[in-house]
Amino acid sequence: MRDILNLGFKLLLITAVAALALGVVNAITREPIQAQVEKMDAQGRIAVFSEDTEFVELDADKIKAMSPDYATVSQVFQAKEGGEVAGYAIKTMPSGYGGAIELTVGISTDGTLTGIYVGNNSETPGLGAKASEPEFKDQFKGKKVDTPLEVIKSGQGNDNQVQAISGATITSRAVTDGVNTATKLYNEVLSDDSSVQQLLVQEGGQ
Amino acid sequence: MKGVVKDFVNGLWNENPTFRLVVGMCPTLAVTTNATNGVAMGLAAAFVLVGSNAMISAMRNFISPKIRMPAFVVVIASFVTIVGMVMKAFLPELDRALGIFIPLIVVNCIIMARAEAFASKQPVANSIADGLGMGLGFTLALVILGSIREILGNGSIFGINLFGASYEPALLLIMPPGAFMALGLLIGLINYLTRKPKDNAEKEGSH
Repeated sequence: MRDILNLGFKLLLITAVAALALGVVNAITREPIQAQVEKMDAQGRIAVFSEDTEFVELDADKIKAMSPDYATVSQVFQAKEGGEVAGYAIKTMPSGYGGAIELTVGISTDGTLTGIYVGNNSETPGLGAKASEPEFKDQFKGKKVDTPLEVIKSGQGNDNQVQAISGATITSRAVTDGVNTATKLYNEVLSDDSSVQQLLVQEGGQ
Repeated sequence: MKGVVKDFVNGLWNENPTFRLVVGMCPTLAVTTNATNGVAMGLAAAFVLVGSNAMISAMRNFISPKIRMPAFVVVIASFVTIVGMVMKAFLPELDRALGIFIPLIVVNCIIMARAEAFASKQPVANSIADGLGMGLGFTLALVILGSIREILGNGSIFGINLFGASYEPALLLIMPPGAFMALGLLIGLINYLTRKPKDNAEKEGSH
């Protein structure tokens, strides 16, 4: 009995110290981590538009509520260049091989993709992780948004087809699904100005 | 002091975790698709190994043998989590390069194996030397394996193209089955090269 209490107390002490240490570190690192995440998101938007673009956030929760097809949409920004709406930066989180892939898709108002940016992901290094390399992601640049894109493994692709990363079909499909979600959102909602007006996040009377 | 050096060299080669002890196979097989990943995974594991060995060694008289397993798990998991959070917050560049390897370290049985077999019984200095040796030995093994797979499977090393565009890479090598084949052949080769004549004679005698 005494032995059990002794061991139990030691374990309690170890786990309590560990929990305390984790709590302290979490408190210290939470804000810097949040700042890094926001910086990454901003980087994604800049990558698909440009440094000078001004971004206005739209209400992603309202978009998610519209249709289950938009479940993976996490952020939507209206991109403005020189005061004019130039397009939209849509962040989606499609599920890849190793969990969600943070994907920012840029769509220009002329109905083409301005590019994609593959952010944080847990895809296999050397295979799926190649999604963030130009060889794969640059295929999306300039694609038309009116037809959904398809993944092909080999051969010459049509205009709406992209070459899969060798050995990483699941990742390639996930990224393409994410892009298709974004183009669908653009075609069905964002290309209509009146529905965009309703999605603008209210500034709270400032 | 001599003991410390011996413990270090022991992990590096004589008891190399990958080629000799054959532990920590999961990350070994999974991440060695190229040489750079091998370096990253190896160094991240070495860092955690040194830290966890030092901590467990310092606590070795406090942790009774009966509760050593849960105690080690808590110490290792907490250490890895703290390293992960600190890297995410203050070293974002490093985190992008090593980030996905850090959580993998928790399930790397080298850490647990060294805590159990070494750090729980030896002084702190020796445990640090053991962690460093084992960690670098692990790194060495991953770099060798990663280089072989990258050269044959992708025609490059550390991302630098070796053979030009005409080279048709053996894609199998960077796929999971290639990991098993490359590692198996490599361990076989090392055993063949380092076998002692005495073993040889014994084996032939037994036929």
